[in-house]
Amino acid sequence: MAETARPEPVSLAGKDIHLSFGKNAVLRGVDIDVPAGATVAVIGPSGSGKSTLLRTLNRLYEPDSGDILLDGRSVLRDNPDRLRQRIGMVFQHFNLFPHRSVLDNVMLAPRKLRRLSADAARELALAQLDRVGLKHKAAARPGTLSGGQQQRVAIARALAMAPQVMFFDEATSALDPEMVKGILALIADLGADGMTMLVVTHEMGFARSTSDAVVFMDHGNVVETGPPAQIFEAARTERLQRFLSQVL
Amino acid sequence: MRRRRMPNGPNGPLGRYLTVMTFNVGEHRQSGGKLLAAAAAILMVCGLGLPPLAAADTDQCTPPGIDGAIALPRKLATATRPQEDKYITGDVEPLSSVDIGALGLSTPGALTVGALSQAPPTTCINSTGRFTGFDNELLRAIAGKLGLRVNFVGTDFSGLLAQVASRRFDVGSASITATEARRRTVGFTNGYDFGYFSLVVPAGSAIIGFDDLTRGQRIGVVQGTVEDAYVVETLHLQPVKFPDFTTVYASLKTRQIDAWVGPALEALDAVHPGDPAAIVAHTFSLGNYVAYAVAKENRPLIAALNSGLDAVIADGTWSQLYTDWVPRPLPPGWEPGSKAALTPHLPDFATIAARHHRALDEPAPPKSTLDQLRDSFFDWDLYKQAIPVLFTTGLPNTLILTVSATVIGLVFGMVLAVAGISRTRWLRWPARVYTDMFRGLPEVVIILIIGLGVGPVVGGLTNNNPYPLGIAALGLTAAAYVGEIFRSGIQSVESGQLEASRALGFSYQAAMRLVVVPQGIRRVLPALVNQFIALLKGSALVYFLGLIAGQRELFQVGRDFNAQTGSLSPLVAAGVFYLMLTIPLTHLVNFIDVRLRRGRPSAEPGDTLDLITSTSGQEMT
Repeated sequence: MAETARPEPVSLAGKDIHLSFGKNAVLRGVDIDVPAGATVAVIGPSGSGKSTLLRTLNRLYEPDSGDILLDGRSVLRDNPDRLRQRIGMVFQHFNLFPHRSVLDNVMLAPRKLRRLSADAARELALAQLDRVGLKHKAAARPGTLSGGQQQRVAIARALAMAPQVMFFDEATSALDPEMVKGILALIADLGADGMTMLVVTHEMGFARSTSDAVVFMDHGNVVETGPPAQIFEAARTERLQRFLSQVL
Repeated sequence: MRRRRMPNGPNGPLGRYLTVMTFNVGEHRQSGGKLLAAAAAILMVCGLGLPPLAAADTDQCTPPGIDGAIALPRKLATATRPQEDKYITGDVEPLSSVDIGALGLSTPGALTVGALSQAPPTTCINSTGRFTGFDNELLRAIAGKLGLRVNFVGTDFSGLLAQVASRRFDVGSASITATEARRRTVGFTNGYDFGYFSLVVPAGSAIIGFDDLTRGQRIGVVQGTVEDAYVVETLHLQPVKFPDFTTVYASLKTRQIDAWVGPALEALDAVHPGDPAAIVAHTFSLGNYVAYAVAKENRPLIAALNSGLDAVIADGTWSQLYTDWVPRPLPPGWEPGSKAALTPHLPDFATIAARHHRALDEPAPPKSTLDQLRDSFFDWDLYKQAIPVLFTTGLPNTLILTVSATVIGLVFGMVLAVAGISRTRWLRWPARVYTDMFRGLPEVVIILIIGLGVGPVVGGLTNNNPYPLGIAALGLTAAAYVGEIFRSGIQSVESGQLEASRALGFSYQAAMRLVVVPQGIRRVLPALVNQFIALLKGSALVYFLGLIAGQRELFQVGRDFNAQTGSLSPLVAAGVFYLMLTIPLTHLVNFIDVRLRRGRPSAEPGDTLDLITSTSGQEMT
């Protein structure tokens, strides 16, 4: 497993977050709380604002109003680049850099942003690749890997920055079915290691078995929040019930 | 009619070239440059493969000598000349009182002279690349009297007077008739020659005199010449304007125009016996005499040149050069130089001409169409003359121009591309305006505006050398196209790439630099090579700015040989050089294209890239 010193888990919270693209209100006062070391799953129909919420919490989009607390402290006045170095993110479509080798994909950010020496960055990157089982593909180009392998590289790339929080944005939605299980197991392992994680997912089985809490979003609002057992077996709102009846 | 020197004897330019090449081969072998040695060896074999060099009777830019004397046309000899010119100075300062420090020369100690490369026998480049002809040799002699060097620069007649007025050239030497209209732009020295016009028509034409010219006929002239003014102001007709004599005459031979009104000497030199064209009439020029043009306010230089002119008349140099280059009787009542200048002693050209049975109106048997075609395209002697110069002068200059302009284009194009996709409108708008301007203008317009307009402003910086300006004009134009290529490439990179980079913590600038831009460039490599090809071809346009002999690129080397001889063969040779450069590049584009689309042969099918091989309007004009 990883030889890097793991940072202490920290909490993440969003308070009454609003965001509009022009006249289109995408987030309408979202409150979300991810305790230190917890795994929170975000579910909801397409267009409900789940992915936008992730990108607002790491300030890829700047919220119109509200607050973001990392480790209990507001980060809205921080340098957003520094904030994002503390929050790893994994995307639905991997977004690996196709013009660089697998190793370079993982090394790039530690080398340039953490200012590690080439040797140190390479050692770190190889360790992360080993962790996701792809050390032997270090020299390959991402384009030659399967979808599941690419997503493992993307996870290694995010982890190489030693983030305090990890975001997963529908990390398995673009994968062939036989690949999904392995990636979910990898994410679950991370959670078990004590990483604070916010996971947007369509995998209800995963949300139910692995998360500490589930957030149901619809139309830019958090409609219902609770432990998985409550969300999946005792939905209180009609909208959640209808959603679950469609996806389960 | 003409007596030509042998340009290609053992001591001619080609002979010397072969000697140099052989020497180079030895040198390369010693230095172990196998590739260079191989290339040189191939060249040498090509050179040795040439048959013994025959006397190629092709260079029009050589003096005809006294045996080439002609009589004044009968009709002209008796015609009344225009009134006596009031501008001729009564006297000149003695040579000893000329202060060459006060002549306002752009290069101290040297005359920078604008001349035409293709108007023999008065001003032309000969096959050794030397600016010569009566006007230029006389100017050399005058400069010698003044203790000045002479630097000749080739230019077009249409731009010559403006360039003299703007002091890009100290002197214009191009058989310029000193007319009232031109005196509004520039000043003139005393006369050193006189001018009259010839009317040249295709063989068998019904036109036999100036009176036969009417509306609806296509009458060719060189733009901005006195013939141009004569057709417009005296005949009240609209001529077809050409950039140079060679093009007018080529058009006449192929019957694209009905008549050519040209200066008599140039017409006589251009019309070869057997050509499908005839000189049918003559008339006097508008002004009285031919003189050197100098910036109007530069009176000291005009006075100095007048002193020098009287001096070369007095010591017989004028008479010698006149006899060598333009042997024909002076019109009655006219003499060169100031009113105080000595009367030159000239042989009796009319008698010599009569002895050789040379009259201006002498007909010659026409050549067959096949002969004409062969002379135009397959003159092997001309290929042998042109190819070494194309190799040693044209090719390096074309490559220097193209590569330098490419570097400017790539660097500045990247700036434009990044500014063009910036979120700041103060970056985006200027980039947009620049791109629209430079993509929207014909390249020749940009080159002329930068070369002739900006040139005088930055004259000190560039030492009045148009070469850097040509590179700048080409580079700035290329930047507009390259910028669009880069922009399209960068914008084609999936937004997820920027998002993933920024999610890792990279700033916008770092994400663009490390991730997005490198991918964008890879995709547009084929389009960039296409642009390079366009630039390579566009470099020919630099010839509009006027280049000294050593700066000529492929096109102008071919063009000058073409102008000396009237044959298209040197242009064909230049074309072959362009193809040798562009065809491999075209195939390189295809190779990159396939490689990037399919990946390396060993790669799996997934390793592909979206390519942008064409952007709108990448071809330069």
